[in-house]
Amino acid sequence: MIEIGRLVVKTAGRDAGKKAVIVDILDDKFVLLDGETRRRKCNVVHIESLDKVLKIEKNAGHDAVAEALKELGIEARVSKPKQKTARPKAKRKTQEQIREQKEEKRKLMDVFRPKKKDEKAEKEESLEAKAGLTEEKEEAKPEEKKTTEKAEKPKETKPKKLSPKKTAPKKKE
Amino acid sequence: MPKPSLRSRSLRRVFRKVPGNRVSLQYKKKKPKSARCGGCGAVLKGVPRELPFRMRNMAKTKKRPERPFGGVLCSRCMRQQIVSKIR
Repeated sequence: MIEIGRLVVKTAGRDAGKKAVIVDILDDKFVLLDGETRRRKCNVVHIESLDKVLKIEKNAGHDAVAEALKELGIEARVSKPKQKTARPKAKRKTQEQIREQKEEKRKLMDVFRPKKKDEKAEKEESLEAKAGLTEEKEEAKPEEKKTTEKAEKPKETKPKKLSPKKTAPKKKE
Repeated sequence: MPKPSLRSRSLRRVFRKVPGNRVSLQYKKKKPKSARCGGCGAVLKGVPRELPFRMRNMAKTKKRPERPFGGVLCSRCMRQQIVSKIR
C-alpha cells in the first residue's frame, strides 16, 4: 500500500484529516509527506492510504507535488516564509553618552525635587496663611491695641507701684 | 471546630504547607468535572481541570489538544471519524 506517489490522509496530530502525497520512504516506519499538510516526516501508523496514486518522482519538490495535486482538485499548503526583520542590537554606550544621561537625570531630579518641596511648602504656607490670615486680622488689631495700652499703662503704673514697694521694705527695716 | 458553613462538604479541603513548617487546612471551591469524550465518554487528556476563572486566563492552546475535534473527541474516536468519512 505504501509507495511513492500514494495519496493518503493523516489521522493524527494537528494535520489530521488533511490529504497528502508520499514523497519518499525513509524507513520501514517513516515516510515523507507533502501536500495539504506541512512537508514532514510521518509515521506509517498515522496515515490512512487512499486508492489513488500520483505520478511523482522520488523526493519531488513542493511545486511538483502542488501541480500534481491540482489535477485532483486539492490545493497544496502554501507556506508563508517569515520576513526577516533586522533585530535591534543592543549597543554599548560610550562614556560621553553615559555622562550625558547622568546630567539629564540630575537635571530632572533638580527639576522635580524642589518643586515637590515648594509645592508642599506653598501648600503649608498657604494653609497656614489661610488659617492665619483670618486669625491675624482679628488678633493683629487687638494685639496692637493691647501692646500700645500695655506699653503705655505700665510706664505710668510701674513707677507708681514700684515706688511704694521700694519704699515699704525700707520702712519695715 | 470550623464555622458551620465550612462543616458541609460544599467546599473541598486542601492541606497546604505553610511557612513555619506547619500544615494548615484551607477550604477551596470544588473543581468542575473533568472533560469527557463525546464519542466514548473517556476522560480527555490535555484538557486541564480548572475553575472557569483560571481557564479564562489560560491560552487557547493550553486548554485543548491542537487537532481537529481537540477537546471534544478523544484521539481514537477522532481517527475513527476521519477514516469513516474517507470510505
